[in-house]
Amino acid sequence: MSTVLSVENLSTFFKTDKGIAKAVENVSFSVDEGEMLGLIGESGCGKTTVAQSILRLIEYPGKVVAGSVYLNGKNLLKATDSDLTGLRWREISVIPQSAMNALNPVYTVGDQIIEAILLHDNVNKKEAVERTKKLLELVGIDGERWKSYPHEFSGGMKQRVAIAMALACNPKLVISDESTTGLDVLTQAQVISLIKNLQKKMNLSVILISHDLPMVTSICDRIAIMYAGNLVEWASTEEILKNAEHPYSKALLNATPDLSNPEREVTSIPGSVPNLVNIPTCCRFHTRCPYAFDRCRQETPEFKEIKPGHYVACFLEEEQNG
Amino acid sequence: MWKFVTGKLLQYVIVIMLMLTLNFLLPRLMPGNPLVFLAGEDVGFMTSKEKEAILEKHGLNDSIVQQYGTYLKNIFTGDFGFSYQQKRPIIELLKERLPWTMLLTGLGLVLSTIIGVLFGTISAWRRGTKTDANLLTMFMFLSAMPSFWVGMILVSVFSAQLGWLPVFGAESAWSNLKGMDRFIDIVKHLILPLTTLVLISVTSTFMIMRYSMLNVLGEDYIMMAKAKGVKEKVIKYKHAMRNALLPVATVFMLSLGFTLGGATVIETVFAYPGVGRLMFESVLSRDYPLIQATFLIITFSVVIANFLADLIYPILDPKVGKHNG
Repeated sequence: MSTVLSVENLSTFFKTDKGIAKAVENVSFSVDEGEMLGLIGESGCGKTTVAQSILRLIEYPGKVVAGSVYLNGKNLLKATDSDLTGLRWREISVIPQSAMNALNPVYTVGDQIIEAILLHDNVNKKEAVERTKKLLELVGIDGERWKSYPHEFSGGMKQRVAIAMALACNPKLVISDESTTGLDVLTQAQVISLIKNLQKKMNLSVILISHDLPMVTSICDRIAIMYAGNLVEWASTEEILKNAEHPYSKALLNATPDLSNPEREVTSIPGSVPNLVNIPTCCRFHTRCPYAFDRCRQETPEFKEIKPGHYVACFLEEEQNG
Repeated sequence: MWKFVTGKLLQYVIVIMLMLTLNFLLPRLMPGNPLVFLAGEDVGFMTSKEKEAILEKHGLNDSIVQQYGTYLKNIFTGDFGFSYQQKRPIIELLKERLPWTMLLTGLGLVLSTIIGVLFGTISAWRRGTKTDANLLTMFMFLSAMPSFWVGMILVSVFSAQLGWLPVFGAESAWSNLKGMDRFIDIVKHLILPLTTLVLISVTSTFMIMRYSMLNVLGEDYIMMAKAKGVKEKVIKYKHAMRNALLPVATVFMLSLGFTLGGATVIETVFAYPGVGRLMFESVLSRDYPLIQATFLIITFSVVIANFLADLIYPILDPKVGKHNG
């Protein structure tokens, strides 16, 4: 399988009054064709910043300070504005966080999908309308409702509209940024299975950003776990479930109830996420890690491959395996 | 849609009737002899026969219901009564003053809205930059100046010292100018009061637009538009401005209601023959029928502007209208 997206050593910092907030530092991962990658981590760990960096949506006071993002071989971070216009939506699109606010309230949902189609594909208005209707049908909404305004839809339907919009120009890669936030559990499950079905049907590559570990493990091929702006572990779902190496990954797995093993005790992770402003060189998890030793407080562990396809950033692993 | 319009219309008819009734009752509830209001100080020198004649002439001997009927009939036939101080029917005075007021305040409102919206958009789009800071300072400075003072400064510079523009009035008196010449004359007279009006009223629109635009620019749909690859200009005007304009439209409609009341201070400073000055004069001379009539005009126009706003708002904001009609 060929690689669609590869992110290498991506760092995105934000200028604040108190100093530089290293929201994302040295993040590397890749997504294969037709693969669903789960990017997971707690709130504020930089998942959305990674997504926005890939999409080139970071604005002042934020800045991508290092790294590269290759989409089918083209470096997105070096692309000019006109290159970007061509790439956006045709190659890479996004289902945004809280789709409730992602639709412009004064235009019909159809107009907003048609806008994307007309912008990128050489079709006339009538064809665009036809395609919009088909897209809405695809996500389970009556095609004739393209003339409705966002406020005339329920939250779950708006989310479906956002998915239809993301697929408008047959993109290769779709980033779903916590797109089920604010929906009830039942609707969440429907939306997620819709994304999964469409992904299989259209052979899409998807980055599924979430903090819902059980959901991600149930549908994703590979999982990347983020903590406080760093990627701590990246492997296949099976490998993560069976042989998670990083203490944070293990703690995260223990913090979620397991339906197949209800006897197991759910344990929370003590402490809280460190402040990312002016954070010193260290392993960012050391303040909450039960196994932390001196080296963790002084150096940042390298994110490296310990087994084929299994990447971890932890000194423990090094100590154990030489 | 028609059901919505007629429903709203009915509401406003009720409001107008209530207003007219209040306007009718007010002078009758006030203490004192109506003769004093009608004839002024002279009432002390009148014989009882003369007094009786005046009461009879104004129908004040009729029953209150009859008086109310006559009052309504008069209002709807355009008879607002007689101004004793100016010795003329009030409707004539209004006909004379209203066009000038509409010209001055209407144009002032339109201009200050356009300028405020434009600079508010620029300021918000470049938030945090020098341009933003400069614009903000400038508009705050403008709003801090009192209108009569700005007017006087403008008159002293452009009329008194430079002699470019006329000092007062709406057009040159007894000049008999016709056509284009008269138009230019009117424009020349309009420039200073209009500038003053725009200068002191532009800040509120600017502030509302800037704040509203800042809010909209932080919305997710703006980021979505960017991610879709929509061009910056289109995002700015089609996606952001359209939404940010909604609060400005509300304020515009509210101000529109007050335009017919004129700009009292500015009209007085420039001796501009508008309704604002008429109101000022009528209050000074305790010309009650005239005061009543000018207030009535203002309430009428506020109600009409509100009605217009109700009609236009559903077009501007799809969330309004369809459901509460």
